[in-house]
Amino acid sequence: MSKVSDYLLANTSKPPARRALLALEDGTVFEGVACGAEGEAFGEICFNTSMEGYLEIVTDPSYAGQIVVLTYPQVGNYGVNLEDAQAEHPALRGLVVRDMCATPSSWRSQEALGDYLIREGVVAVEGIDTRALVRHIRDHGAQRAGIITTGEDAAAFLEKVRTSPDLVGVNLAREVSCSGIRRLGTSVPTRLFGLAEPRPARRTVVVYDCGAKRSILRDLARSGCSITTVPWNTPAETVLSMNPDGVFFSNGPGDPDAVGETYEQVGKILGKVPVFGICLGHQMMAKAAGGEIEKLKFGHHGGNHPVQNLLTGRVEVTAQNHGFCPRFQSLGALVPELSGGFDNHEEDLRAWARRGIAPVVDNERFGRIRLTHVNLDDGTAEGFAFLDIPAFSVQYHPEAAPGPTDAHYLFTAFARLMAGDADYLDIDIAADRLDGWSFADAGAAATEGKVA
Amino acid sequence: MPKRDDIKSILVIGSGPIVIGQACEFDYSGAQACKVLREEGYRVILVNSNPATIMTDPELADATYVEPITPEFVEKVIAKERPDACLPTLGGQTGLNTAIALAKSGVLERYGVELIGCDVDVIERGEDRKLFNECMADLGIEVSRAGYAYSVDDARAIAADLGFPVVLRPSFTMGGAGGGIARDEDELVRIVSQGLELSPAGEVLVEESIEGWKEYEMEVMRDAAGNGIVVCSIENLDPMGVHTGDSITVAPAQTLTDLEYQRMRAASLAVLERVGVATGGSNVQFAVHPETGRMVIIEMNPRVSRSSALASKATGFPIAKAAARLAVGYTLDEIMNDMTGTTPACFEPSIDYCVVKAPRFAFEKFQGADDTLTTRMKAVGEVMAVGRTFEEALGKALRSLECGRVGFSGSAGDDEVALTDEELFEALSRPTAERIFLAAEALRRGMGAGELHEHTGIDPFFCARMADIVVVQEALRTCKLEDLDADAFLTAKRYGISDAEIARFTGADERTVRACRKIVGVRPAFKTVDTCAAEFPTKTAYHYKTYDNAESEVAPKERPRALILGAGPNRIGQGIEFDYCCVHASYALADAGYETIMVNCNPETVSTDYDTSDMLFFEPLTFEDVMDVVEAADPDGVVVTLGGQTPLKLARALEAAGVPMLGTAPDAIDLAEDRDRFAALLDELGVAYPPSAMASGLDEAREAAAAIGYPLLVRPSYVLGGRGMGIVYDEAGLARYVAEAASVSPDHPVYLDKFLEGAVECDLDALCDGEEVYVGGILEHIEMAGIHSGDSACCLPPFSLSAAVQAEMSAIARRIALALGVRGLVNIQFAVKDGVVYVIEANPRASRTVPFISKATGVPLAKLAARIMAGERLADLDLPDTFARPGRFFVKEAVMPFGRFPGADALLGPEMRSTGEVMGIAGSFPAAYVKTQLAISYALPQGGTAFLSVNDQDKRSVAFIARELARLGFRLLATEGTAAVLAASGVPCEVTGKIHEGKSSVADRIADGEITFMLNTPLGSVTRDDGYELRHAAVRHGITYATTIAGAQAMIAGMEAARGGALSVCSLQDMGE
Repeated sequence: MSKVSDYLLANTSKPPARRALLALEDGTVFEGVACGAEGEAFGEICFNTSMEGYLEIVTDPSYAGQIVVLTYPQVGNYGVNLEDAQAEHPALRGLVVRDMCATPSSWRSQEALGDYLIREGVVAVEGIDTRALVRHIRDHGAQRAGIITTGEDAAAFLEKVRTSPDLVGVNLAREVSCSGIRRLGTSVPTRLFGLAEPRPARRTVVVYDCGAKRSILRDLARSGCSITTVPWNTPAETVLSMNPDGVFFSNGPGDPDAVGETYEQVGKILGKVPVFGICLGHQMMAKAAGGEIEKLKFGHHGGNHPVQNLLTGRVEVTAQNHGFCPRFQSLGALVPELSGGFDNHEEDLRAWARRGIAPVVDNERFGRIRLTHVNLDDGTAEGFAFLDIPAFSVQYHPEAAPGPTDAHYLFTAFARLMAGDADYLDIDIAADRLDGWSFADAGAAATEGKVA
Repeated sequence: MPKRDDIKSILVIGSGPIVIGQACEFDYSGAQACKVLREEGYRVILVNSNPATIMTDPELADATYVEPITPEFVEKVIAKERPDACLPTLGGQTGLNTAIALAKSGVLERYGVELIGCDVDVIERGEDRKLFNECMADLGIEVSRAGYAYSVDDARAIAADLGFPVVLRPSFTMGGAGGGIARDEDELVRIVSQGLELSPAGEVLVEESIEGWKEYEMEVMRDAAGNGIVVCSIENLDPMGVHTGDSITVAPAQTLTDLEYQRMRAASLAVLERVGVATGGSNVQFAVHPETGRMVIIEMNPRVSRSSALASKATGFPIAKAAARLAVGYTLDEIMNDMTGTTPACFEPSIDYCVVKAPRFAFEKFQGADDTLTTRMKAVGEVMAVGRTFEEALGKALRSLECGRVGFSGSAGDDEVALTDEELFEALSRPTAERIFLAAEALRRGMGAGELHEHTGIDPFFCARMADIVVVQEALRTCKLEDLDADAFLTAKRYGISDAEIARFTGADERTVRACRKIVGVRPAFKTVDTCAAEFPTKTAYHYKTYDNAESEVAPKERPRALILGAGPNRIGQGIEFDYCCVHASYALADAGYETIMVNCNPETVSTDYDTSDMLFFEPLTFEDVMDVVEAADPDGVVVTLGGQTPLKLARALEAAGVPMLGTAPDAIDLAEDRDRFAALLDELGVAYPPSAMASGLDEAREAAAAIGYPLLVRPSYVLGGRGMGIVYDEAGLARYVAEAASVSPDHPVYLDKFLEGAVECDLDALCDGEEVYVGGILEHIEMAGIHSGDSACCLPPFSLSAAVQAEMSAIARRIALALGVRGLVNIQFAVKDGVVYVIEANPRASRTVPFISKATGVPLAKLAARIMAGERLADLDLPDTFARPGRFFVKEAVMPFGRFPGADALLGPEMRSTGEVMGIAGSFPAAYVKTQLAISYALPQGGTAFLSVNDQDKRSVAFIARELARLGFRLLATEGTAAVLAASGVPCEVTGKIHEGKSSVADRIADGEITFMLNTPLGSVTRDDGYELRHAAVRHGITYATTIAGAQAMIAGMEAARGGALSVCSLQDMGE
């Protein structure tokens, strides 16, 4: 930025400009202005299309190892309220935005996002044509990238980006998991504003924490679970010895193939107690069943993907955040009598949505597995239900945060599974729509929120 | 679910004339619906009384009825067409109310017509506050505390409970008509008594005030399988208290955390489910307390609305199109997202830009009306702007308004600059059309963002953004143009600052700024509205400009491109008619092999549907923005003659910049606009015209007046819709006028024309290819000369003019068109007095009457004009010999918005003030006229007392009127002067005093409902005389009134025609046969 430009901006809300660079492995370089911590950061670049919920994204442990581009241009508008954070600290490597707001406005705001990023040491850049960048990532795929705010020249920095470690094969869950077994009960760190009181705890659930979002713990607690979190590699025997009513496998970052110690435990737990998995947990369950995982070109990261529940036909608008995805076709051969007579796998799983059939495969290890949810944008698998053991999982995020809460019913479904309900997944979204929300007495809740 | 095949034909009800609160957004949604339903193979039957719409084009439906949208007429259409189903949710409140009336009266059942897309119970739950509140209580969602009043005393009691201020909402009125905020008991009594009258249910909701809260709208869709999506969230910049149609609004919501947004989203979907909306689009409005987050639901509309048109344009998700498909049985997952073509419509658009909508007002047309914005909508149009940031979009929106502003700033001549600090700060607390510019001025004077928030209640987020813009502007003021380098230009541009503003701040001129900017390499990029924030590749070329310019997305040219400049925001004098012409040109040029490009900034229109043209640029219609599109898209020709004054004003500058024009050359436009040049031309052609002169200042004006002779028609040069026009009868009037004109348009001189009192006026529209001329139609005005042609009722074919006079007009038109070198359309206005045909003016461009004439004659003039521009000859167009259709009369009547502007005089005059028009078609002129009155829901009175009070000029003709009224069974009441004339003519009548003279005054008898018809012709002055009070009372009480003798004659003929028997209906398609 030139001196004249700095002069024009001098009395605006923008802090004095500090030049920053964003470089992609394929040689694409964008110039911008630093809007977070000083320094350099390397990671895999991906973009998220949610229009709000930046703090939830910044603090989502699943973003460990990644540099995140937000497609909505103006970020930080409503500041930061740590009640919304999904973890104690951000796990992402860097943040790229078009415009960082230095003067947030919200009755819930505690500080500006830029200040928070500086405090948390997150390198961030603004002033970039993020739409051009996103189109580039869309067309050329996820890749390594780096942000630098300390004035190195582009060529030298690009070299550093190209020699930075790749995400594939790296166990990132280790970095964001909890350090030991913690009995949280129902006292989960939670957000108070606008939410209903938790149901009385009726079930005990052990959560394998590969970087679990707080909203997942919150939704489990609020659907009546007393929670114990355990580290990503806790032996199955330890968990089973706690005699839980159910086990939950959490979301988490990175390459599922690199988290062998988790999916080995999954294999030992499936069939013993009711199990529910989300995102990485879903991938772990597929891995345990011998399934293949594919890496998507640029992943699903956003809050608007349509997912159809093949059992009810209903479409949920979902929150998504994954770069890898299990292949339903790899779990076993189709069972024609449970798959509408079809015995050939479909590459594009939307074929099942069109047929109105939830196909079932015969899995060597766990018996029959049904495809329950399909992504209508690209026909990838979004959910499985094990028919011969009490377990189900989804690739997407029913806890939302950020994103729509259409799939909240899956927490209700888990409670029903633990209660032994056979048609536990057959829930009308509309009936569950307002579960967990509170609209009355918001003033009182607000006061509590301020105190908390 | 696949589409239903148990229904074959569907009745679609439109929204009728353009009125405040119900504008051309329903042409957009209705046209989309018709297209989709026909694509799906249904027989579409349409009823809409508005001829200026695309939806009433005969190609859009199988049977198009330009008939009044009343239960009576729609029943006639049903009886004739026997549709299987009726889709009423796309025609605004008018369409919906009519359908409900038909359902309730059993008509639909009797004819076996199924309502699709809604049912009566749902509408009632959505619109009846009591039922709605019960639904919300079931869900546990808060509504503001309130009670119902059926009398003024009820209202007093409720208000005592809630405490002032209270919000008043009459039930079942359109656009919140009759509502308001009462801060004390006097206001309460005034608004409630008016509201009780306006509400069909005689009911007014008295509600706790949530003024100052943040206001949000959610545009929601739902299908029969129960899938629900939120298409778009909208945050109002103006806090609660200003009607959302009058607010500046922003999409998506800017200041909600995800938690709050998702809570609102879940509530919106739950509301639709609970109210029972089976399929279609709805909107749900919320208020959020800025300091506690307490959220209350304001209302929901179970139909598409103005906001859904905005949301469609803002996101690229076509709500009406989807709603029509859902109504016939599809589910959201079965419909494809048009933009991607590969993903389903069952998703929520993600947008990677900011959208700002700004309302366009017309208070200058309604002197005396209060310009405070309230819960009752007053805007006549709107613009939308797209930018990557709020700053960029706000600047664009404000310069799109065409109200003399070049962005978020004022200039030396603007009113706010003259205010003292104290006046300015005080003015900020009152929401008005100008407040946004007052905010800019306050910030310029050093007010902080926080203080601005204190004064206005505008969210601090927006205040801070606006403060930043002003800071950059003020820094620019201290720079010279040559100081600005590439980064500096880019910075200014990214804050939404226009070239014209940079020019003003740096003391340069706009062209130089543009040149310097380009020299240093700062050019804009064009991004795409794609519903998915670039996640998926899309093919639709729906673009907006930004200075995020790492990459531009405009596709390279593969075939010749034609660019059409649209008409900008709807305003009085320039409305949907011009959009109609632009859309037709786009279709015709596409047929001619061009890749068509539309540039416009009006989100309500069909022209800004991404489906209409091959490429859509949603941009302001300024020199800078249009030139940027021209440079990016490289058109082979630009059409400037179809979008009204807006593109015309740019024509010269574009031509000078080397932009190729299609059609009539800008110089011909100038030749016609320049009074001296045009007079010289008429002299050369031997055509008569009223003597006229141009004058700067009072002295010159006096001199000219003496030469021409009174009365005079006076007006400022270069204005639209007769703004600032007047008739003066003497020198005192002239002096008053000249002083006023200087304030409207200080840089331009004043025109003085001899006023041909009592002349018959005509409009003629013709096509010319440079060699041949085709007269598309002649319209005879019903009001005599002196009433603006846009406000006068008129008839095709002329009902009182001889064939010889018509032939003379055609011959004159031919000479003028050829002499001007017209390539396309020309409109000529004539006045006929004492057998002499005078030319009033000629406009070598599309006129307001083009769609009306096209509908009446079946000859699509705008399309043909575009074909001529593309090089075709009239001889090749296969045109009929005559525009008249034997045995049919087509009457156009203007719709006046006086009810919206209490305080403004409801008098017709040379300044246009109507917002829209209707068409009546019948076998006789009176029957066609009466249909127009019914279409505007002016039921002509059957009897009662007629009150007559006319000025001296009209005293001669009043006896005839009075005799006719008496014959029709009216009792007569007249003021002394008028009564004396009547007595002399042997017509008995009761005499009454002037309005201020006593208790049994006319005003009381109007209020009592005794008087059902009023004729009051004005004295030719604008003072608030008795006439003003009477007309005001007539408007307030919805009494049929005429302000001209000719208007009264037409009404009386209409009353007689209505008594004569049933008025039949006929489709446009049948008329052609």
